[in-house]
Amino acid sequence: MDTHLMLGNEAVARGAWEAGVQVAAAYPGTPSTEIVTNLAKYDGVYAEWSTNEKVAYEVAFGAAVGGVRALTAMKSAGASVAADPLISSVYTGICGGLVVVVAGDPGMSSGMTEQDDRYFGRISGMPMLEPADSQECHDFVRLAFELSETYDVPVMVRLSIQTAHQKSIVRVGERVTVERKDPGRHTDKYCLLPRFSRPLHASLLERVARLREYAEASPLTRVEPGTGAFARIGVITSGAAFVSAREALPGATFLKLGVVHPLPLEAIKRFAATVERLFVVEELEPYLEEQILVAGLAVEGKQWFSQLGELTPVRVGRGFFAAGLDLPRWAEQKAAEDDSVIPRPPVLCTGCPHRGMATAMKKLDLDVHGDIGCYDLTSLPPVSHMHSAVEMGASIPMEQGFRRAGGSKKGSLAVIGDSTFLHSGLTGLLNAVHQRTNVTVLIQDNSITAMTGGQTNPGNERTLAGAKTKPVDLAGICKALGVEHIEIVDPYDYEACLAALKAGLAYDGPAVIITNRPCMLFPSKVGADGVYEVDEELCNACQQCMKLGCPSMHHTEAVFKKRHKVAIDASTCTGCSLCAQLCKPGAIAKAGTA
Amino acid sequence: MSGAQTKAGADPAAEHYAGGVVDDIMVVGVGGQGVIVAAAIIADTALLHGGLEVKLSETRGMSQRGGSVSSHIRVGATVVAPSISPGEVDYLLAFEAAEGLRAAPSVVPGGVAIVTTQQIVPPLASSTDYAYPFDAIERLRDDSHRGRDAGLHVTVVDGNAIAQEVGDVRVSGVVLVGALSAHLPFAAETWHEAIARNVPARWLEMNLAAFGAGRRAGGIDAGEQT
Repeated sequence: MDTHLMLGNEAVARGAWEAGVQVAAAYPGTPSTEIVTNLAKYDGVYAEWSTNEKVAYEVAFGAAVGGVRALTAMKSAGASVAADPLISSVYTGICGGLVVVVAGDPGMSSGMTEQDDRYFGRISGMPMLEPADSQECHDFVRLAFELSETYDVPVMVRLSIQTAHQKSIVRVGERVTVERKDPGRHTDKYCLLPRFSRPLHASLLERVARLREYAEASPLTRVEPGTGAFARIGVITSGAAFVSAREALPGATFLKLGVVHPLPLEAIKRFAATVERLFVVEELEPYLEEQILVAGLAVEGKQWFSQLGELTPVRVGRGFFAAGLDLPRWAEQKAAEDDSVIPRPPVLCTGCPHRGMATAMKKLDLDVHGDIGCYDLTSLPPVSHMHSAVEMGASIPMEQGFRRAGGSKKGSLAVIGDSTFLHSGLTGLLNAVHQRTNVTVLIQDNSITAMTGGQTNPGNERTLAGAKTKPVDLAGICKALGVEHIEIVDPYDYEACLAALKAGLAYDGPAVIITNRPCMLFPSKVGADGVYEVDEELCNACQQCMKLGCPSMHHTEAVFKKRHKVAIDASTCTGCSLCAQLCKPGAIAKAGTA
Repeated sequence: MSGAQTKAGADPAAEHYAGGVVDDIMVVGVGGQGVIVAAAIIADTALLHGGLEVKLSETRGMSQRGGSVSSHIRVGATVVAPSISPGEVDYLLAFEAAEGLRAAPSVVPGGVAIVTTQQIVPPLASSTDYAYPFDAIERLRDDSHRGRDAGLHVTVVDGNAIAQEVGDVRVSGVVLVGALSAHLPFAAETWHEAIARNVPARWLEMNLAAFGAGRRAGGIDAGEQT
């Protein structure tokens, strides 16, 4: 038996490959990234990191319209970016199968919001499957391609981070060969002019009705009979919440929904008639609960199970306990951690090229409109200096609006990374130039999509597939957009950072500053360029260097004027030299040069 | 399948898990220390043994940038959830002393904590009022500060020193996996196979030596290993 321990995301990739997928496109985003990372390793699949999720969706959609099986994958926020083609493609339908994987993040391990992606099914009419473990990730994706072609519609596979990032055993199969279908030419199918899209909306609704009939009879709508004391307790649930509920209340009778849009309401009614007390266990919004209530059934849900965060087994168990069920395992609220131990949040790496500019911006006390990237860690101690960091591409337009609101006395600027700038920063900068607003923009170019683990972007010389390509010229783009003040600066040169910021802020017109050091981790770990050390005699414990938040610097036992002196860990120092530049008494120098 | 055949021909793992026992193993440490690889070795060992259900879940998101990380591995005849509930960890494997202390309340009374002496002081200790617990191991041993006797069985392993002896400090994680292996019902060769799956070939020999040294530190000597 060919079994493997696989991440949910790996199993999605395997299932898609077995289903004969030929084109996969995505923009990296936790917790969905590993899907396309893994698909790229299989033969017979063209996989790419697209510039953003909307582009990725359209590439996959185009491939499906072109007659082959295609997949796109994204995080919740990415689904919002891709919402336009996502909704429109349900009107048009496809030719080859199209599967859209959306991985949500209840608990916000790395997401900016806890968006409930199930509502995309209701907004768009796109059918939605929700697997609960890696085997189901594999099986449901294979099935999704079949459904996509049978019903002529893209099919969404919705994951929770719990499902995407758990590992469980998968029994794999072989790849099927799917011949390209003749795409033909179908003006009335793919051109969404009102004349064509009005009848398409009617057929979309008719298709939802047929998909509901499918869900009613589908093996994915599954009753798990209970045993023992809780056998007459009925629990309607799906995905990760199903796993938690089964752990929390073994012996209950479950209606496990694999199709979460459209809902099999007749099957739900039949199930309700067989139990004494009916619960819905679902993460985030009362999505199932409200539809079941509208169907006229008495059901208990959000009064016991929180609308916030991940529904872990203990949180579900505590909910059932609160609802009056006799569950000794969940009677006591137990601590998972000793909260008195010093917290250890993630930090910028030693030698991170974002550190110099972050320190300079704090020094100048600027209002910083950040974007999405590792530099957001400067909103946490010890730097704690960032005004906003909301969504991909927000920095430049928000800075423009902030300036239109009057700006700030000491100055404000937008901070964005190379990958995010190419994802959705360009149009914001173009707008600011066109509107003649004096925005200042700092592009922290570390030449990689770092935060998600080092994926390529158009700034790189290689594509995901390893093909040689032409790296984009960021300064050249800004110039073409009409920016006249563009300065490239070494972020390891603290004085140069300060000077570049001041010059950019003083310039009468849109100004762009671009840093030019690579990420320390990706595409490969940057080695040390010398090591710095502290002369304890000269150190006056002023703490200027400690404001950098460098993980290679720590306090020693030695004290001067009630403050600890500082030492550098030689085994991890990369020699960026920022601490030496900040050291007024000159106590920090390159090892062997003092 | 390698199986875990003893001289008598019995399978200690099959016996151990037959009554519905689920072993809940948690590995904690600091991002970049190799917690994820260690968890993969443990999970793969149970998978390679065969006939068991194995589930794993890990910290996600940005924690790889020097933040606290943890991986949960659950092994049994039947396992439902991939994550371990608070207070139900049977075996805690700590790659860093303060992280071991942080996770200690998660261990079931009478459970096992294997903790290395390594201490990594986070930058926050220098810029905030938080103090790093240099006495973490003493506090783990004497857990009266938690107001109850948790009866934690603590094994302290100097993972770095043992790894250094074997050849490289970077194999310290596998030393700790070796110490854990002394508590689990799987054969040494099954562990070896799982290690081979998860480390680069040129490092395999050193990792196997690290595993053996850790296994001895955890209480099984070389003579018992086959």
